[in-house]
Amino acid sequence: MEFVSPEGLRLDGRRPMEMRQIRAQIGVVAKADGSASFEMGNTKVIAAVYGPREVQNRSQQISDQALVRCEYSMANFSTGDRMRKPKGDRRSMEISLVICQTMEACILTHLMPRSQIDIFVQVLQADGGTRSACINAATLALADAGIPMCDLITSCSAGYLNSTPLLDLNYVEDSAGGPDVTVGILSKSDKVTLLQMDAKLPMDIFENVMQLAIEGCKAVANYIREILLENTKQLEYRRGR
Amino acid sequence: MGSSGASGDLSGEMEVDAFRRLFPLRFYERHLLESVRPDARPLGRARDTTVALGAVATADGSAMAKIGCTTMLAAIKLEVMTPPLDSSDEGSVAIDFHMPPICSPIVRPGRPAEVAPVVSKQLSDAIISSGMINLKELSLVSGKAAWMAYLDIYCLDADGALFDAALLAAVAAFSHLQIPAVTVNDDGRVVIMSGENEEGKLLKDPVNKEKRKLTLTCIPFSLTCILHKNYILADPTAEEESVMETPVTVVLDSSSRLVSLYKPGGPVLAYMSAVQDCVALTRQRVKELQKILSDAISDMEVD
Repeated sequence: MEFVSPEGLRLDGRRPMEMRQIRAQIGVVAKADGSASFEMGNTKVIAAVYGPREVQNRSQQISDQALVRCEYSMANFSTGDRMRKPKGDRRSMEISLVICQTMEACILTHLMPRSQIDIFVQVLQADGGTRSACINAATLALADAGIPMCDLITSCSAGYLNSTPLLDLNYVEDSAGGPDVTVGILSKSDKVTLLQMDAKLPMDIFENVMQLAIEGCKAVANYIREILLENTKQLEYRRGR
Repeated sequence: MGSSGASGDLSGEMEVDAFRRLFPLRFYERHLLESVRPDARPLGRARDTTVALGAVATADGSAMAKIGCTTMLAAIKLEVMTPPLDSSDEGSVAIDFHMPPICSPIVRPGRPAEVAPVVSKQLSDAIISSGMINLKELSLVSGKAAWMAYLDIYCLDADGALFDAALLAAVAAFSHLQIPAVTVNDDGRVVIMSGENEEGKLLKDPVNKEKRKLTLTCIPFSLTCILHKNYILADPTAEEESVMETPVTVVLDSSSRLVSLYKPGGPVLAYMSAVQDCVALTRQRVKELQKILSDAISDMEVD
């Protein structure tokens, strides 16, 4: 099947280096300490952060750090066919762990000892790139909750089909069987915290694809920064300054 | 504005927020004396309600309902099943209510909300007993194939009156539901018609000529009230529900007939007059909700 037409257009009309449309909103869940919704094309995700709060299970309490926990779950109607087991299956547990460890890298946990920070992510619509959308949403939610972080973590995926590196794969391109590289970086310091790839890829092409994904992450980081600045201006305005 | 309650057992002044946290019942009673609530609503008024249809593009019918901060997302997915022998010309509806951990600080991954299965059952009973859906409309080929409609409702923000918002979202999702056009192909399997008939393929008569909507009769609407001493508060927030623990839920249909009444215990024992007042409040609310729902449907049709 042809994923990139001879004119250089993908199945949904994008160019190979073009990301899908991103949209984000902060403060969507009133009850949460911090929350955000993040959309990348048709993938819609809501993240909510509760914390720092008291540790639920005393035996897991860490005396000099905060405990970070994450749960990823997909809505029954998020994929094309209705899912029977939206959480607790292997993929959800793996992604929960990935998000938890990625976000832990940037949260300054030593400032909040003996407490727990819960990050919950709910996928409402899945169209490829759910992992990246979840990490971006979690970053925004943590910022909305005022949890001290050393940097913003953003994530994007890239692949390689029909001998072309493609940025931000959707579900059809993702399930084509080609390689899928997901990268998460700390936006200011350009350090990579998350790197996952499946399927085979020669080393030099891998570097190109990874570089493309990093460019995508930087674009997301710029957008996230704009959203946070806008949010802060609104807060200042409402405070009456 | 920071003095303690009338009994004055707390010396000195205290900030409003601290008083609200430490003595929630006294805080509310001070407001009820003036017939108002902390968010400036009169006792009988519900919060701002909005309904948006078609919130989930991948589902056959979907809606998002918001009452105040309480947000519910409902989506219906249709699957084909073989109907059981005793109802061979009827489809079926399965309703499920989920409270994911994002919605509230009391829901944690290892500890699901106790109220979720309760609301799930209440919803199921209310929708099926109201007779809103004619199950015969969900039948495809009598005895062989019928639609199973899976309705999943996700609570995205839990701020009181969960049942009301969930019922509104469910009803709106059913109003938005479009049954796709299907045919039965040679293997006896049901296939979605993609639009134009392909040449050279033998298709039996389409079972569904075109996309159609369900006809809904007797649409149920509900209102939850909280009883406290002799006050009746309509549409409580989560804080009000936790402080004053006697909820009464009344479900009426669009012709103001009583579909269900639910008062699950609670410290306040209600006289008939209180129950009748609740029903009267619900009757008013049904008119508001009908207007909101029909506005949302006509907005969809304009697009």
